[in-house]
Amino acid sequence: MTQAPQFDPALARDRTALAWTRSALSMLAIGTLIARAAFEADLHALAVIAAIATLALALVTWRQGNSLYRERAVSSSEPHHQPGALGFLMSTTLLIAVVALVVTIVL
Amino acid sequence: MPSDQSTAGDQDGIDTPRSRGWLASPAERERRLEETGTEPDPRFSWANERTFLAWNRTALALIAAGLAAAQFLHLNPHGLRLIVAVPLIVLGGVLALASYVHWEDSERAIRLKQPLQYSWMPRVLAGGIVIIALCGGILAIINRIVH
Repeated sequence: MTQAPQFDPALARDRTALAWTRSALSMLAIGTLIARAAFEADLHALAVIAAIATLALALVTWRQGNSLYRERAVSSSEPHHQPGALGFLMSTTLLIAVVALVVTIVL
Repeated sequence: MPSDQSTAGDQDGIDTPRSRGWLASPAERERRLEETGTEPDPRFSWANERTFLAWNRTALALIAAGLAAAQFLHLNPHGLRLIVAVPLIVLGGVLALASYVHWEDSERAIRLKQPLQYSWMPRVLAGGIVIIALCGGILAIINRIVH
């Protein structure tokens, strides 16, 4: 599998990497919202923890997108399917939903 | 297909495409997926991945909308805003989970060169948003009339 990168006129890999970046940005936005809601609900500790946690999770998500570019640099044309990364994002979203629910009800 | 009669049996993806252990580890899931069918064109995998990411962002947007509704809806009594906020957040959580399951089903179908399954997610999303919008609108009007 040391062939040159496939010709990819539709830039599928780039679009996928950008999609990861958008996901990371969405996560940052929701982190801000949760932190704000938690402060309003006088859950200051939760607000700080939520802000730091979503920042960290957004960084991990962003890195996941960047890793696609790195794969291109080493000219691997192997498809990566990554249940780990996708499952991680799914679990993160569920966690965010639970925290959002708690904050909303307490607010 | 390798013919090992004793251990694996027929629990690999060919015979039962929808069999999946719900609590399998990510490594186990990846291994099971790699054993299924043949490597597809990477562009198909990426398209499937982008679809998952788009659904995931939709889920995050719904959760964000729920949080915003909780903060900016000033209904009286105070608890009424939960009628709008909680379904939005729950819908987001359900879609986050379902989109992962859908991704794995699609990936398996792509590897087996089978037709992709339709998902119930667009219907639930559209129906959910309509119902929540109606609830929100009605609540806002009633709130306006009463106070």
